[in-house]
Amino acid sequence: MPTILVLDDSATMVMSLSHILKGAGYDVETGMNGREGITKLTDGVKPSVILTDLNMPELDGIGFIKEARKIVSARYTPIIVLTTESGGRKRDEARAAGASGWLTKPAEPNQLLSVVKQLCPVK
Amino acid sequence: MRESGESNERLVCAILAEQVSNLRDKMDASEAFDLLWQTSALLSWLSGLLTDMDRDASQASMLRDRERSEAIAKINTIRHQLDNLAFFQAQRQDFARQIADCVITALERMSSARMPEGTRFASADLAALYVSEDQRRLHEDVLTRLQAD
Repeated sequence: MPTILVLDDSATMVMSLSHILKGAGYDVETGMNGREGITKLTDGVKPSVILTDLNMPELDGIGFIKEARKIVSARYTPIIVLTTESGGRKRDEARAAGASGWLTKPAEPNQLLSVVKQLCPVK
Repeated sequence: MRESGESNERLVCAILAEQVSNLRDKMDASEAFDLLWQTSALLSWLSGLLTDMDRDASQASMLRDRERSEAIAKINTIRHQLDNLAFFQAQRQDFARQIADCVITALERMSSARMPEGTRFASADLAALYVSEDQRRLHEDVLTRLQAD
């Protein structure tokens, strides 16, 4: 079963995303900020896709993407930014850091799953 | 006299920051969401059960088959709606939490604990705290409206 790493500082969002992804047949690993995400990756979690918020304490989404791209196992892992930010500047910043895609909240579950399934189909 | 008025305002800001912070911490509705998702998972299980019963039925009955199919369709529709509702509510709550964070930070900076006497907190300082285009748009709308008045 493919694993998705979900990073968001809202416990409700983390639970919500986990529910949707598990229901679609994915394993889910979670973290409440970028630092926890980096710890998961260095501890050996190998997600097929990473979903991350931008505005998080300790290490934000952009910082997480930059650090994740330095980890060999996550260098090419698709990273989707899921955020309330819709500004072009932030989007450019995320892309420059190594983000693969962008979803603006509020998103629909189908919209989210369609992106995740394209990147990582469930067999 | 002016100094006393200013320190009162700072005290009010500090208290309001604590009040909003307290409110934000109570906003986490994980239990309600958990119940929604448990219901959704239960419906999913029921749908699967009905499908299996349909497959294993030894005697064909057109009426029963039709009712079972209708029940499965209705269960799946409601489950889909519940999932959508829970996801949208979670995102709405996230928006509310974000603006609460913004108000708390602004109030803390305006209170005596964070700013030296005489320092002012400008609307641009508030705008720098925003994390979404919606917040920035509303800010601009209010500024435009107030400047027009």
